[in-house]
Amino acid sequence: MSEPILISQDLKKSFGEIEAVKGISLQVARGEVFGLLGPNGAGKTTTISMLTGLLEPSGGQITVDGLDLKSHTNEVKAKMGLVPQEMALYMSLSARQNLMFFGRIYGLKGKELRQRVDEVLEMTGLTDRADDPVGDYSGGMKRRVNIGAGLLHKPQLLFLDEPTVGVDPQSRNAIFESVEALNRAGMSVIYTTHYMEEAQRLCQRVAIVDEGRIIAQDTPTALIRSLGGGVVLLGVSASAPEDLAERIAQVPAVKSATRSDTYPAGSTGGQLKIETQRLQEALMQTLDITNQLDVRITSLEILEPNLESVFLHLTGKKLRQ
Amino acid sequence: MNALNIAYKDLMMLLKDRGQLITLFLVPIGFILAFSAAFAAGQELEAQVIAVPVVNLDPGGEMSTLLLQQLNDDRGLQTEDYDQAQAAADLSDETIKLVLTIPSGFSADVQAGKQTTLRLAYGPAASDSEVQAVRLVVDGIASDLSLETQLVGGLSQMGAMMGDAPAEVRVFTAERIATQAESQFERAKTTPLVALSAKWPDQITQGREDFNPSSFGVAGFAIMFAFLSAQTTAASIFEERKEGTFRRLLAAPLGKWELLAGKMLPNFFLAILQMVIIVAASLVLLPLVGQQAPTLGNSPLGLALVTILVALCSTSLGILLGALCRTESQVGGISSVFLWIAGMVGGAFIPAFVLGDFLNAIGKVVPHYWAMQAYNDLMLRGGGVGDILLELGVLAGFAAVFFAIGLRRLRFA
Repeated sequence: MSEPILISQDLKKSFGEIEAVKGISLQVARGEVFGLLGPNGAGKTTTISMLTGLLEPSGGQITVDGLDLKSHTNEVKAKMGLVPQEMALYMSLSARQNLMFFGRIYGLKGKELRQRVDEVLEMTGLTDRADDPVGDYSGGMKRRVNIGAGLLHKPQLLFLDEPTVGVDPQSRNAIFESVEALNRAGMSVIYTTHYMEEAQRLCQRVAIVDEGRIIAQDTPTALIRSLGGGVVLLGVSASAPEDLAERIAQVPAVKSATRSDTYPAGSTGGQLKIETQRLQEALMQTLDITNQLDVRITSLEILEPNLESVFLHLTGKKLRQ
Repeated sequence: MNALNIAYKDLMMLLKDRGQLITLFLVPIGFILAFSAAFAAGQELEAQVIAVPVVNLDPGGEMSTLLLQQLNDDRGLQTEDYDQAQAAADLSDETIKLVLTIPSGFSADVQAGKQTTLRLAYGPAASDSEVQAVRLVVDGIASDLSLETQLVGGLSQMGAMMGDAPAEVRVFTAERIATQAESQFERAKTTPLVALSAKWPDQITQGREDFNPSSFGVAGFAIMFAFLSAQTTAASIFEERKEGTFRRLLAAPLGKWELLAGKMLPNFFLAILQMVIIVAASLVLLPLVGQQAPTLGNSPLGLALVTILVALCSTSLGILLGALCRTESQVGGISSVFLWIAGMVGGAFIPAFVLGDFLNAIGKVVPHYWAMQAYNDLMLRGGGVGDILLELGVLAGFAAVFFAIGLRRLRFA
């Protein structure tokens, strides 16, 4: 890995008795798109807030481009850009006025400022509507201005905090393309999301966060490969024998079978999580066993190997529960 | 520099909000015009003197002379002597509206402690308010006369009884008691016995010596609306927090102090501009609509200092409200009610001397009161900076306390 643009060591944050972040260590390489994945409430936004200098950590250290965030706060902040989850814009001002304002805050002025604002408006496809109040824009257009405002000062490291929440598919694709273009231009990006397919598409490496901890950190391919073939979630009736999971685990194509604490909504029965390297074979043999034992199947869900199933494998929970 | 950028952005946003501009600049001027007109009309009514025809059947009597003197003693009445027949004729043909008759032997009866009756007759031309006004004044004076006479008589009797006591237990002589009682009543004339009815007109008279309703209205509404503009700061902080722009700004190379200064500057300058516009518009507009122009006094420095401290106080209050308000209704509704009530008890709406002792005491806990006192000293009484040092100090203290609490409670994200 090239010299990291960001290093976080044992980052912690407590709010009173609640430990929101319990020691996060990660490194982001220059020119890398790094995904921070996890369900809502996992501690992603708190982590981002500490990494961007918005929140003082309760413990740990953050270094950006070789500078300690705590002792070189403004210098480090000038190297970073933040695109918050919410539309952090002034709705009564136009896109141009918003961008001019945020550009000035980052120290741009005069001709350079006007030029950068024009470039960002061009990049976000908003040149024609640049002087309309942002409040009159569609959700997707607002989202584009929101991202543009984080890019004005050409940050070395850009934080995108759940940038596609509440965005239509067309705008979502436009955002993906923008992130890819920025990355091609050499910008490092930390991208938080709870949509695994986004992380799979955009990120070179990902860290999966749950309950304030990183539970896995690698390339998406390596994480998926570690899981193997896939996961079958099998809902069974309450009358299913207690040792059903053990019986299925003995099937040669099955890697593991466990009773999950998670039950399908409205079901009075249980759920089995079956991990396998050979999905079709394992599924056929499992159904044979349930037929022999006369177990009624209440639901069947097959998770192709992806980051979603990796998360389920690691935590026993679905990402969007 | 970033503080100026933030202030410039806030001003740009404000200029796009016409409703806010109207509230800041036009509404106060409207209030002042209406208030000055209403107060001036009130003053004209109060200045009217009611003519009271009097039939004195006890001419030269000590008590009747005293009664007539007191009726004419700046109580809004002017007596005119009539003979009995003429008064009856004029009353019946409505040439006069009412007539007060002092019965014969009035002085002797009062001095002897006997009951006697003053008669107030009125015709259909007399309005209820005139009859009531005359009745109240005559009742008040008659009661005092009666009380004085009875009390002096009683004390004199006691003195006489003591005169019969042995010399070793005799403490007061009758003369000494009577002298003491009369001296008490002399004081009672300058400090009327019935607190509510006597004190009120005395204070109004005292305040009225230098009371200019335009100056009062201009100062009061300038203060009132300068403090109401604290809501602009509070709403702006609330919006930045709600929309997440504070979060974005704090991720930039920008200190919290710069951010806070940027939020305070617009309100500070707007409050000053608002007060200057209110005064300038009043100087031009009030004479155009037939009202007295406000007097500004002799101390431009004093006016500038009070205005700057009021603006600072209002801005700090805005930070405090912005820190404390958690919902939109708290910013717009509850804080608005609080500011109007503070303006009222602080004497910005109604002169403090009209509010009475209780509300005056409460008023001292709001900055409006001190600002109002300072402006009144400068504009109405022609005072200088040396006369308002206490007020300036208290206003600076309010600003510091509001800012300190606001800063402590403010959550940026």
